[in-house]
Amino acid sequence: MARHEVTLDWVGGQTRMIDVDEDETVLAAAQRAGAPLPLPYGCRTGACGTCVGRLLSIEGSEAAGDDGRTAESIDVADAFAYRREPRALKPRHRDDGYVLLCIARPRANSRVAVGSRVQSELVDNPWK
Amino acid sequence: MSDASSGSSEAGPDHEHEHHEHEGPGYATPQAAIEEGDRENLAYVMSLYVGTDVDASDFVAVVDLDPDSETYCEIVDRIEMPEKGDELHHFGWNACSSSCHMEGLERRHLIVPGQRSSRIHVIDTKDRRNPELVEVIEPEEVFEHDLSAPHTVHCVPDGEIMISMLGDADGELPGGFLQLNDDFEIEGRWDPPGEIEMNYDYWYQPRQNVMVSSEWAAPKTYYPGFDLDDVEAGNYGRKLHFWDWEAGTVEQTIDLGEEGLIPLEVRFLHTPESTHGFVGAALSSNVFHFWEDDGEYRAEKVIDFESREHPDWDMPVPALPTDILISMDDRYLFGSNWLHGDIWMYDVSDPSNPRRADSLSIGGTFGEIQEVQGRELAAGPQMIQLSLDGERLYWTTSLFSSWDDQFYPEEAERGSVMLKADVDPRNGTLELDEEFLVDWGELPEGPARAHEIRWPDGDCTSDVWQ
Repeated sequence: MARHEVTLDWVGGQTRMIDVDEDETVLAAAQRAGAPLPLPYGCRTGACGTCVGRLLSIEGSEAAGDDGRTAESIDVADAFAYRREPRALKPRHRDDGYVLLCIARPRANSRVAVGSRVQSELVDNPWK
Repeated sequence: MSDASSGSSEAGPDHEHEHHEHEGPGYATPQAAIEEGDRENLAYVMSLYVGTDVDASDFVAVVDLDPDSETYCEIVDRIEMPEKGDELHHFGWNACSSSCHMEGLERRHLIVPGQRSSRIHVIDTKDRRNPELVEVIEPEEVFEHDLSAPHTVHCVPDGEIMISMLGDADGELPGGFLQLNDDFEIEGRWDPPGEIEMNYDYWYQPRQNVMVSSEWAAPKTYYPGFDLDDVEAGNYGRKLHFWDWEAGTVEQTIDLGEEGLIPLEVRFLHTPESTHGFVGAALSSNVFHFWEDDGEYRAEKVIDFESREHPDWDMPVPALPTDILISMDDRYLFGSNWLHGDIWMYDVSDPSNPRRADSLSIGGTFGEIQEVQGRELAAGPQMIQLSLDGERLYWTTSLFSSWDDQFYPEEAERGSVMLKADVDPRNGTLELDEEFLVDWGELPEGPARAHEIRWPDGDCTSDVWQ
């Protein structure tokens, strides 16, 4: 069984690398590994977005830009195959490298920003 | 107090009453609830950690509301859910006054759904202060009926339970209604699929054979947060559906239009004969009155909250009235403007012409009072609950974890509070009780959010009369 290394990078916190089987989701692997912090999750079906992470790099290539945002050249599909449709993500979120860890299975070694703060990046206050 | 609730360990010394005309879980009439109901000494409050980095499950908090108790204003027990990620939201009783003539049935089990997980929990509250989780229906069993995202729980008069479901098994439309039997097993869908697309809250008036349901959006739309693009795309609801309660079919749909965007909590008057009710349209910041007229339901905007300018905000801030309730005597409509930070009461003795009675400016974006007992308020008033006698109004401050993060990000660090106002129904006034504060920010695992509130022996948002 192929395995990949997924580095979880808590926004403003710790980092931990976990091994994830190709047929296992990142969330399941993180729970199995007892990552230093739990990954947030809700529906586990790709509908609610609670578990969202942001892909930072694939195969050790570091994210471009100083702001920590995902490089435009990174395509989530190169790093993860979804178990089912990621319904909680809009096209703009997918283009920005957001990934639903409850349904994402690894296809390459990668680094992902995780933690509850990633979810709050998805939408901002439209009046402010 | 009713027969069923007299088994409660916390009923107090005055729970023996002379009124024993009926058998079953509840009160014979709304007026009987006012006369026979004891003061609320405990509250059950939905409490959540979903979507945070705190490694803990959501829980139901038991809050001590007895002013003579040493633990007044404290969370005295917590019923933790077996899994994480539920987003406990709304909940309800296995039985209410609608089944007050059913011998042997008790208002004893709380049905506690997870909005995000679609897991449904059953809590036995025989011991009112130390309830116990007794059943769990796993999400997969719910998905088998092509439903997800459970919301409003009402008992139906014969001992069964119905839950509004906002999405299909994939978190898309259409939603529907799930029915549980009195052994807390899924019986199936209540409605024939396809009667409605969007779903949210509902209320039924069995004597009129009518049910009304409102609309939020598909779970995949509202779960991640509020997006104006979804409003433009028509992904948010604006309709009311009037159902034949016996047949489970929609008889009439009213499109409330632009002024009725996101119709959330929907309430009929408590009087079982009445066909009048109200719904709050959260995004349009209006309240609609609906009523039956010559066999047809009609709806009309009766309260309009103006948006307000704030120096730090780019656009006028909408009020966002997210919860409403009607006092047990049908005299007052109460509500919360979550963004503005207002608690308000309107005299609805003439339901077509609500008259503003009073309001309290607290928390939120504009609240005149921004702290209580030195505790800074991180959000506006949200879920409300009123005492049966209409003299004490309580509220919490969390709306929905992802929406909280968007509009009041500080709430994740500070947690929610529960606050209280004293109501004078005779003069139509509200006064903040500064002695009352329950703080979800000081829990050992970390700050939690608090949402819907229920009283052990029936309240203004769960009881229906047959």
